[in-house]
Amino acid sequence: MIASSTFAIASRDELWLHGALSESRLMHGEARQRGRTIDATDARDEDLVRACEDAIDNARSAIAALGDARIRLVARAMREDGVESAETTITISIGGVSVVTTPANAVADYSLLRSLAGSTPTMSLGSLPIVWQNGSAAVLLHEAIGHAHEHDAAPVPWPTWLSVDAPLVTRRETFRDVPLPRMKHLIATQTGAPFVLPKERIEVQLIAGGAYDPVTDIVTIHVAVSSAGPFTIRRKRAEIAAALSGAVGEPIRYPGVICSREGQEIYVASHAPVMITDALT
Amino acid sequence: MIETYRKWGRVVRYENGVTIRVEEAGEARDDVFSARPAQTRVSVPHTSEDSILSKLVPKVDAYVAQTLLSVRPLVVERLIVSSGIAHHEANGVSWTEESQRVHLSLIKPPLRVLIDLASFDIAIIETIAAALARVGKEREALSRIRLAPNVSAALLPSLIGELAMEQAGGGLDGKGQPIATRAVTSDPPPNWYRPGYAVRPVRAWLNLRALPFGSIDASAPLALALLAPVDGTTLRVLCIDGDDVFPATVDATRIAAVSRDKPTWYPYAAGSFGAEMML
Repeated sequence: MIASSTFAIASRDELWLHGALSESRLMHGEARQRGRTIDATDARDEDLVRACEDAIDNARSAIAALGDARIRLVARAMREDGVESAETTITISIGGVSVVTTPANAVADYSLLRSLAGSTPTMSLGSLPIVWQNGSAAVLLHEAIGHAHEHDAAPVPWPTWLSVDAPLVTRRETFRDVPLPRMKHLIATQTGAPFVLPKERIEVQLIAGGAYDPVTDIVTIHVAVSSAGPFTIRRKRAEIAAALSGAVGEPIRYPGVICSREGQEIYVASHAPVMITDALT
Repeated sequence: MIETYRKWGRVVRYENGVTIRVEEAGEARDDVFSARPAQTRVSVPHTSEDSILSKLVPKVDAYVAQTLLSVRPLVVERLIVSSGIAHHEANGVSWTEESQRVHLSLIKPPLRVLIDLASFDIAIIETIAAALARVGKEREALSRIRLAPNVSAALLPSLIGELAMEQAGGGLDGKGQPIATRAVTSDPPPNWYRPGYAVRPVRAWLNLRALPFGSIDASAPLALALLAPVDGTTLRVLCIDGDDVFPATVDATRIAAVSRDKPTWYPYAAGSFGAEMML
C-alpha cells in the first residue's frame, strides 16, 4: 500500500463517426492518497490539459484520411509524484471489428483492419492447431500470464523457449479510481522455439476480447477474425501452457489491447511472435 | 435549443480496502455530445459539504465492517460500498438525489456469488453467505423454482416484451423530465437514462416493475443469489431447498407467477424492482 502520493490527470476523448465528430469529453482531476484514503477532486492542471489538447490535435491529423470508420481518440496526460507521462490511443472499428493503435501506426493498422473486416472464413471451425498471426498471441498471454500474475495465481509450466516481459506497475484510469497493479506492457519473445506449420490449421488474425477468471483459473479468448470465422476459446491456464507448441521470428506489435479490470480501462502495449498452439476449440 | 445538463456530486466509496472520497462537478451538452468539468459550480448547498462527508464516511465504514464480519469464513473477492449525494440541473429543473450502492463478490471455489444492492442491507448478505458456506452438489433439471427479489430484479431487463411490466413512476429522469408510471411496451421509452454527466443519455425504461399474477408455491426451492451475471434468460444461481444448498442453471424464459409483496429497488440496468417470482 502506498503511504502517500499525488496523482493528477487530464484526458480528452472524442468519438468520430464516418468523419463527423459525435462526442467529445474533457476530464481532469487530482487524487491525493494518504495510506488507505484517497481524496479526489476535479482540480484542473493547465499543463496537463494543454498536453492533452496538443495530443488530440495530433491524433485528429492522423485519422484525417480514415473517413469510413468509427474512431475513438483518447489522449491522456498524467503526473504522479512529479513524474509526467502521456499516451494517445486510437480505436478504429469497421463492421464490428476493431483495432487499437497510435497516431504513428494509425494508417497502417486501418489498412490491416479494412482488409480483415472484409474477409470471409475459408473453412469451418474444427479441432485444429491454431496459428496466432499479427502478434495476437500477446492477447492469449496477456490473459494467461499477465492477469494470472496480477492475481498471484499458482505457477504453471510454460515452454522453456518462451519469455514474457509483463511488469506490473501501479496504474489507474482516472482520478476517481483506486490504483491497482496492472501490466505496463507485455512483450513475448521466443528463443529457439520449434516451428512446423501444420498443414491443416486455423489462422487467427484479430481478437475481440479476453478474460481470466482467478477463481476457476479459466482463460477466455473471443476470436474476432480467423480463417474459421469468430469463435471462443475457454481453457484452464495449464491447458493453454501445454498447448503452446511453437513460435517463429521477432515479436510483432499487436494492434490493440485495452485492458479492463475493476471497471478501469487501460491501454497495454502488446507484442508477440507468430505462435502455434495445439487445438483449443 | 441546445440542452445543458449540470451535475455536482460528492461520494465516499470503499473499494477493496481503500476509501476514496470524490468531489466533482460537470456539465454536458446534447447536440454534438460534449462533457467537461463544470467551470462554474452548480448551485448547491455548499455550506453543508463538510457535513455531507462527515455523515457519509462513518456510514460506509460501519457497513463495510459489518459486512466483512458477517461473511466469515468466506473469501471476499470484491467489496465496493458507496454513499453519495448529487445535485442535478437540466432544462430549468434542479433536483437532488442520495444513493447507496453495494457490490459484493464472495467466493467458495469454484463458485462466486454476486450481490448488488441499493441499500446498506446486512441481512441479505448474511443469509447468502451462510448458504454459500454450506453449498453442496449441483442439481439439474429443476422444474419449479422461486427467484428471490434480488435475483428477479437482475432478470427483469431481459424480460422486456416477454413479461407484463411497468415503469414505476416517481422522481425525474436524466433530462429533468418526470418519470410517469407507464406500461412497458416495444415503443421507444418516454424517459432518458443518464448514469453520469460524461455519458450520453439514452432512452430507456426506468425502474422496471413486473405486474403481479399467479401464485407462489412457498415449498419450491428458492434461488437466493446469482452465481454469474444474467445471460439472456439463463440464470446461474445459488439455491436452497430445505436444508440443501446447491448451485443450478435455470432457464427463466417462462415466468409462472409474480408475488404481490412490496418490491425492492435494485441497481440493475436503469433500475429494476425485485419481487419474488416463480418459474
